[in-house]
Amino acid sequence: MFWQLCINALISASILFGLAIGFMIIYSTTRFFHFAHGIVYTIGAYLFFLFSALFHLPIYLSVSISIILSAFLGCLMDIFIYRPLRHRRTSSLILLLASIGIYIILQNVISIIFGDDTKAVSLGTIEEGYKVFNARITPIQILIVCASFALTVIVWFILRYSRLGKIMRAVGNNPELAKVSGINNDRVILLTFAIGSALAGISGLLISLDIYITPTMGMHALMMAVVTMIIGGVGSIPGIAFGALLLAFAQNFGVWKISSQWQDAIAFGILLVFLIFRPQGFLGKKIKKATV
Amino acid sequence: MDYLLHILILICIYIILASSLNLISGYTGLLSISHAAFYGIGAYVAALMSLRLESNFLLNILCAIIISGIFGAIVGFPSLRIRDDYFVIATFAFQIITFSILNNLTSFTGGPMGLPGIPQPVLFGLKISSHEQFLLLVGFFTVCVFLICRRIVISPFGRVLKTIREDEVFAAASGKNVAFYKVMIFVIGAGMAAIAGSMYAYYISFIDPTSFTVMESIFIISIVIIGGAGSLWGPVVGAIVLVALPEILRFLGMPSSIAANMRQIIYGALLVVFMMWRPQGFLGEYSFTKDTSNE
Repeated sequence: MFWQLCINALISASILFGLAIGFMIIYSTTRFFHFAHGIVYTIGAYLFFLFSALFHLPIYLSVSISIILSAFLGCLMDIFIYRPLRHRRTSSLILLLASIGIYIILQNVISIIFGDDTKAVSLGTIEEGYKVFNARITPIQILIVCASFALTVIVWFILRYSRLGKIMRAVGNNPELAKVSGINNDRVILLTFAIGSALAGISGLLISLDIYITPTMGMHALMMAVVTMIIGGVGSIPGIAFGALLLAFAQNFGVWKISSQWQDAIAFGILLVFLIFRPQGFLGKKIKKATV
Repeated sequence: MDYLLHILILICIYIILASSLNLISGYTGLLSISHAAFYGIGAYVAALMSLRLESNFLLNILCAIIISGIFGAIVGFPSLRIRDDYFVIATFAFQIITFSILNNLTSFTGGPMGLPGIPQPVLFGLKISSHEQFLLLVGFFTVCVFLICRRIVISPFGRVLKTIREDEVFAAASGKNVAFYKVMIFVIGAGMAAIAGSMYAYYISFIDPTSFTVMESIFIISIVIIGGAGSLWGPVVGAIVLVALPEILRFLGMPSSIAANMRQIIYGALLVVFMMWRPQGFLGEYSFTKDTSNE
């Protein structure tokens, strides 16, 4: 039981991690809560469902098309909604409200097109899985953990050591100064949305391989990603990895002692404790606080 | 006819909800996505008291207001430490935890099965049963809430709230206890939401947690924003537009399975459109554009 819970926690942490990293990249560059990130995740899963289960495209093709389309969707949101708002120098709250609006529209569009029932993507027969420490793990779950680990390393390298990462941080820290230094802010932010949304799409299709998908799953997943980001600290990838693990272990082991319906209450309870006592997270830098 | 009365009653309930949230978000500038939680707390307190204790209608409403007000203070408190989008997330967390408790504390709240059979309210020996009587009752409370809001807004208390919204440091420098005002307005707003909640519980006579979800909170804040945050009549206009507009779909002969989704698409789209072109809403004077984060 103990090892099985560990493995379950590891898997949910991996998926959470991909989503949270995507969200964090966008947040740290644009400084607003991109709520519609959750719907990109859902759409990534549904696109994969559409291509692999309905159109029967080969898996490599359907994976890459879903990821590209997710990235494209993120770019569209930026170009048509966020960029005009940003140019008007509106506050982060207006952007947040607009993105909630986008989320609601797209979630209901998915509901209308695909229906509210749960959908599952299955790749052939379900295998029994390998036995590790008295626990079972299926090949797909191993794939999920590996894919997420690989993504971590790639994103970490991009953000930490590449020129692009430096530019993204510059735009996030001080957009005016970045512009004066000759950086094309709009293009950098667009690229950020592309990368972040691609990560959301990847998380979405990974979850569709492991469990079922529903149109409303994005909201919950997004809230977990936000919790992860706040626990871990904005701008810190090791922090987010730690936050994802903490959250996933707290939820999965919470289920052991109390019933599974309380997972949300556990997660958001942790969030409230962090928001009140340590709003910068474990490893994050200082964030804005009340100035009074 | 009953259908029309039903819509009017719903509009009244949403006017109460939106006006009270307007005090918090429109006048004090604390964007909050937790109003459905207070609404739900009010509904559950009133329903549980009338089912378990069979106590008087007015007493139930009073208790609902007090208990919801206490929770309001709990939510208002973090606003002293965290601000802007982080505060939005904190209210979000409160909303989700409240929903989770209503949904999972089965022995107490009935869980997903809800609380059926809430008795009709008896007011001074008169049983309120028809739609007309209900509309009068709800209308009376709506007018009361509206007048209280008006009184708050034009009072010195209200001016301090607006000062906090525009410049918190200035308010503090003028010797105002910002913490007190912020927590107080949350208590008042949550108490008013509890009135709407108990009205809803008595009117529908059945409540379950799905009426008090995150989406409901977002709907209420949309009413405030689209109607116009920081104006007295804004939430009234917003409630009428957002509750009545989707009913048109019914007359267009849209199947009810799609109509529910279309209703949400409409207000999602309105939210985006207003944010893009008119962030202060129909009548508003405040558009959440004060942003001290980058200063």
